Amino acid sequence: MAVEKKVAAYICQGCGLGERLDTDALVDVVKKEGKIQQVKPHPFLCSSEGVTMIQNDIDNDGVSHIMIGACSRRAKTDAFNFPSVAMSRANLREGVIWIRPDTEEARETTQEMAEDYLRMGCAEIKAMRQPEGNPNTGTSKTLLVVGGGITGMTAALEAAKTGYPVVLVEKSGQLGGWAAKLHMRVPSHEPYKAPVDNGVAGMVSAIEADPNIKVYLNATLAKTSGAPGRFQAEIATESGSTATEDVGAIVQATGFELYDANKLPELGYGASPNVVDQGGLEQLAREAAERGGPILRPSDGQPVKSVVFVQCAGQRDASGTHLAYCSGHCCNTSIKQAMYFKDANADIDTTVLYTDLRTPGNGEDFYRSAQEKGVIFTKGKVASVQPAGNTCKVNFHDLILDDQNASIENADLVVLATGQVPNSGVNIDFKAVEGEEAAAEVEKKTISILNLDYRQGKDVPQLKYGFTDSHFICFPYETRRTGIYTAGPVRRPMDIAQAKEDATGATLKAIQALENAAIGSAAHPRSGDLSYPSVRLEGCTQCKRCTVECPFGAIDEDEKRYPLFNESRCRRCGTCMGACPVRVISFENYSVDTVGSQIKAVSIPDEFSEKPRILVLACENDAYPAMDMAAMNRTETSSFVRVVPVRCLGSVNTIWITDALNSGYDGVMLMGCKHGDEYQCHFVKGSELANYRMSKIDDTLKGFNLETDRVQTYEVAITDIDRVPKLINDFEKRMFEIGMSPFKGF
Amino acid sequence: MTEVVATNETILVVGGGISGMTAALEAAETGKNVVLVEKNPAIGGRTSQLYRYFPKLCHPICGLEINLRRLKSNPRIRLLTMAEVTGITGAKGDYTATIRITPRYVNANCTACGDCAKAVGAEIPNPFNYGLNKMKAAYLPNKMAYPMRFVLDKSIIGTPDADKAKAACKYNAIDLDMQEETVQIKAGAVVWATGWQPYDANKIQPYGYDRFKNVITSVEFERLADPHGPTSGKILRPSDGKEAKNVAFIQCAGSRDENHLRHCSRICCMASLKQTNYVEERYGNEGKSTIYYIDIRAIDRFEDFYAKVQANPNVSFIKSKVAKVTQDDASGDVILHGVNTEGYHRYATPHDLCVLAVGMEPSVKGANIPAEILADSSGFIEADPANGAFFGAGCASNALDVNRSVQSATAAALRAIQVVNRVAKAEV
Amino acid sequence: MSNLSSQAAAQYNNNFLKEVEAMVEEGNWVKMCMQCGVCSGSCPTNFQAGWDHPPQEIFMMIRAGKREEVLNSQSMWMCTSCYNCIVRCPRKLPITHIMHGLANYAHRLGLAPKNQPTRHFAKLFWNNCIQTGRVNELKLSLGLYFKDGFKQGIINGLAMKDVALGLLKAKRLNPFELFKAHGCKDQKGIHAMLKKAHEIEERRKAIKTA
Repeated sequence: MAVEKKVAAYICQGCGLGERLDTDALVDVVKKEGKIQQVKPHPFLCSSEGVTMIQNDIDNDGVSHIMIGACSRRAKTDAFNFPSVAMSRANLREGVIWIRPDTEEARETTQEMAEDYLRMGCAEIKAMRQPEGNPNTGTSKTLLVVGGGITGMTAALEAAKTGYPVVLVEKSGQLGGWAAKLHMRVPSHEPYKAPVDNGVAGMVSAIEADPNIKVYLNATLAKTSGAPGRFQAEIATESGSTATEDVGAIVQATGFELYDANKLPELGYGASPNVVDQGGLEQLAREAAERGGPILRPSDGQPVKSVVFVQCAGQRDASGTHLAYCSGHCCNTSIKQAMYFKDANADIDTTVLYTDLRTPGNGEDFYRSAQEKGVIFTKGKVASVQPAGNTCKVNFHDLILDDQNASIENADLVVLATGQVPNSGVNIDFKAVEGEEAAAEVEKKTISILNLDYRQGKDVPQLKYGFTDSHFICFPYETRRTGIYTAGPVRRPMDIAQAKEDATGATLKAIQALENAAIGSAAHPRSGDLSYPSVRLEGCTQCKRCTVECPFGAIDEDEKRYPLFNESRCRRCGTCMGACPVRVISFENYSVDTVGSQIKAVSIPDEFSEKPRILVLACENDAYPAMDMAAMNRTETSSFVRVVPVRCLGSVNTIWITDALNSGYDGVMLMGCKHGDEYQCHFVKGSELANYRMSKIDDTLKGFNLETDRVQTYEVAITDIDRVPKLINDFEKRMFEIGMSPFKGF
Repeated sequence: MTEVVATNETILVVGGGISGMTAALEAAETGKNVVLVEKNPAIGGRTSQLYRYFPKLCHPICGLEINLRRLKSNPRIRLLTMAEVTGITGAKGDYTATIRITPRYVNANCTACGDCAKAVGAEIPNPFNYGLNKMKAAYLPNKMAYPMRFVLDKSIIGTPDADKAKAACKYNAIDLDMQEETVQIKAGAVVWATGWQPYDANKIQPYGYDRFKNVITSVEFERLADPHGPTSGKILRPSDGKEAKNVAFIQCAGSRDENHLRHCSRICCMASLKQTNYVEERYGNEGKSTIYYIDIRAIDRFEDFYAKVQANPNVSFIKSKVAKVTQDDASGDVILHGVNTEGYHRYATPHDLCVLAVGMEPSVKGANIPAEILADSSGFIEADPANGAFFGAGCASNALDVNRSVQSATAAALRAIQVVNRVAKAEV
Repeated sequence: MSNLSSQAAAQYNNNFLKEVEAMVEEGNWVKMCMQCGVCSGSCPTNFQAGWDHPPQEIFMMIRAGKREEVLNSQSMWMCTSCYNCIVRCPRKLPITHIMHGLANYAHRLGLAPKNQPTRHFAKLFWNNCIQTGRVNELKLSLGLYFKDGFKQGIINGLAMKDVALGLLKAKRLNPFELFKAHGCKDQKGIHAMLKKAHEIEERRKAIKTA
């Protein structure tokens, strides 16, 4: 689209802007310095009349780029909604008049502030292009589901039901996964009274009957390459040959293994066949059902008369030996298994030894139902299980009766509720530690699930304990691999009901990813963003920083070792742009230039004016809204700051800082989100990387012979509404203490 | 007159909290048209009233900002606020919903400048702070409100205050003639995400919520701890404004109780564990918390959070359902009575403040959902084919935390899409 | 097997719980307790004199098979039937009734603690009232006063003398009742009724045990 670029500017006089600011002078600035000739002030720009005026200019006057000098870009978005043109917004209300006192003395600096924001808005709009959408799209509408357990089957069926073809890859010889091994399952629907059919057979036959679902059994992924909309999956099949499937998005539903009960010899596992894990009990129950008789004691085939369930076996372990987490489902699972016995024969003693019984939601009904059936719940911590002949003695601390030496003798069967260990493949972030045990652990985890042909590693990054869960409470599906969503117990410990819900949600995300990839639009959190990264390879020095730092593994290397952008994998955070030392990476509407030109547009008063200039680069999601809210409180803030919102602090290129210092700014403040273990950066690594980069800025400052206090990085949350103005005002004070920058006027 | 374009390929999402927003956004970002209906003047729901989330202790409005940005930039979502669905007729793929829109008395001209609030004298209890403080009867619901538009409380309509507000507005944004209106819209599928309400603590008679000022609910405590709440984040007890440094948390206040709510509300253990953190954040080592519990349900990886709180010497755990709360009239302290069941120790312990971890009751109770919709014994909407294309999401469907609500809402969005896709196919 | 080990083996098996379910009034509710402790905390007697185990602990002991300890316990005898526990129990256990049921069962088995005052009173009351169909208050009071011997009886009596004199004055106490108590009109009928009730109860117990 080679539409001629025509820029227009609009200045609002409402909300006190007209009274507090000299509009004529503002118009002058836009014309003379901003070099935009078409400037229209309006007494109430967001009114329908004002909006119509702008729309008319767009429709009838060929205006393609607009600069609006009014309120914050976060305000009045319904009114200033012109999707067909590029737009910049100069924040005169929240950014200027709301944070400055309405006094005669303040008038001059307030006006200067507003003028600068207009200069910045003009500079930005000129450097912007209207995004046209990533041209490197893929149009595959097929979903690849990895794993044929209850999660994978749910994903496949739900996708097919939505109208999308599915390729399902299962490593074993049959569908069903763990659920198929269950005699019955915990109910997920009223009444919550008794175990129900595991539901696997019905799902398997539905999959087999669905022409839109293609199943590969005894198959694994040999290689996965490409990007959303155009993934290519090489499937190693049973016959030894490789099948290739083009798919648009991936749901990884690779489930879990039970924690190895052999690691719990103190609980008698291995010492007696009458000590089983929950999986072992399911098998005994299925055998009994097939036989049509009672559950038998493995050691001698006698009917079980008493059974003890040991909860949290090798779980919730603070010592670091076993699993530290709770697997969530095991309380309900043991209740269900106790019902296998009680429903068959009420005379069988069933005791559940627990420390905290965890049956959330309607699980409470299931718990009550078990009690009604005579299952006994004893709050106690199991110390050991001692096999003796055909029975076992379970020693425990009864926490209610405070009896350290409590025990149950003559238990025919002991069931250990061991936890879920995710099948999540290679931990690509794993840093090898010394020691044999660690080495063994690593070896176990070198078998990749997806075999991603990504520079950053073969599998989806893991969060903790091997689970691929998202770090975000509000956005549970956001993995760090665009178009690949994990679901079920590989993501987080969970039961069948949750796994089905999880699979359904992940399927939606996968469908959404491939649909957006097809139109060249970004995925969460910048959904709808049509900009994409482009790189000027001529200037690239092959330093690899972009490929290393991209939090989403979007950038590979081509044969010539140049960065190879997979635009559909990109989340548009701009971390690569921030990383690039030669500044060859940019987005149409966000680039080194769109920000850099704003920084340079600010007018820098001379050294003797006592008017410092402070640049604030603020995360647009947290720090910038915090400032808006401070402005709503009319919190007075320095008139010397000029704030530029950035997509993520990770996108901050150090050139902006050196440019700012070079052109005479007295200081630079960077405000990003919390990083570290509890990071809040929505681009995962952005703020962390920025922090790392800024740790090196001191050398630059020393090179300039400038004080290191002149550049500071802050962790700011969106709720820091009172803190941000204070940080700014303190910084201003500090600048006065240090003195003006010697670089002014060069 | 409010105009809404909707067809039976439209998805109707009822409720603009985290679940409703998620369902609407996920469906719209997959290319579907959505009408999102919220009964309050601003969206965000109950999570926007929380100070922090567990387990990260991050701030809910951070995610809200992202969702609002998604919403603002998505032309496929039509948002109706102060709107309630009063009835739904029809069947899967072809519903007609009747929506009642109550007047805001403020139109789209509003710039949120705040001049009307300055002009108005009357004050009303602030619902955002659960009535813990008052606000002007011309108000912005909160600082993150979307739409960012003031509201005139109906109590001042017809009074001189309303005229003052109108006179103060330079933008002709106040329209005192606005009338309640009813619109009907078509929808192929309905996602019901009306969330939850805290169980009425007055019904738990022995705990004295109705009698003792220093017995409050967990949701109220969120507002007390929030630096932007009614006490500017100082945890001050209501009776005398004293700093509450010794705080008791009573778990299962209403939940797991056949006299009240049969179900376990899932979130309350984690919420109280989180809130012990607020006490310490405010008062350091002087801030002591005691959690009275039956079972601590810190499920799956939340166990880490529990372990951390357990290791904190400023937090004590007592396995006991508190029997009753009394008040020491002289000091204003609340005294918790009961028995620590781990080894049988009787206690009568004074605390500065007692926080009831109140249970989660689905808001669908009493809402105008079609009668034939299947709900469980607690009133949560069940996933059942009999419900046609009427899908519960978030806490309308189960007692869920935020993470699981979002999961549930995303799944509900897909189920709705399946229906409208079928409608679209049939119409081609 | 020695006695000690047989008792240990019985611990935490369900035999005693099953016995309670079969033999004790409302005993089938014991398994429903979730050990929240609200009953124990709600008891107004504050577990003074003789409350060795609060209700929820008794229920746990039943499940733990501690038969002797439970049946020998003072606890069930101390219940004042205030019903606080029943009202508050989140599982709606009829705790008061279970406590009385346990007391009754222990008494029937002869395992209830000797000289347990409530039990003593209950026995006195029962034996007193079934004779004539009316409670002879004078005899009942004296029986209680002299429970712990003659000397203690005199002390108890003197402590209550003002009350007694007051009652005497108000003609609410007739010293001659000590020799000849007045009964109800149809004493034969009462006795027949009690006999019948006893038969019915025995029959019911027989069914339960079977």
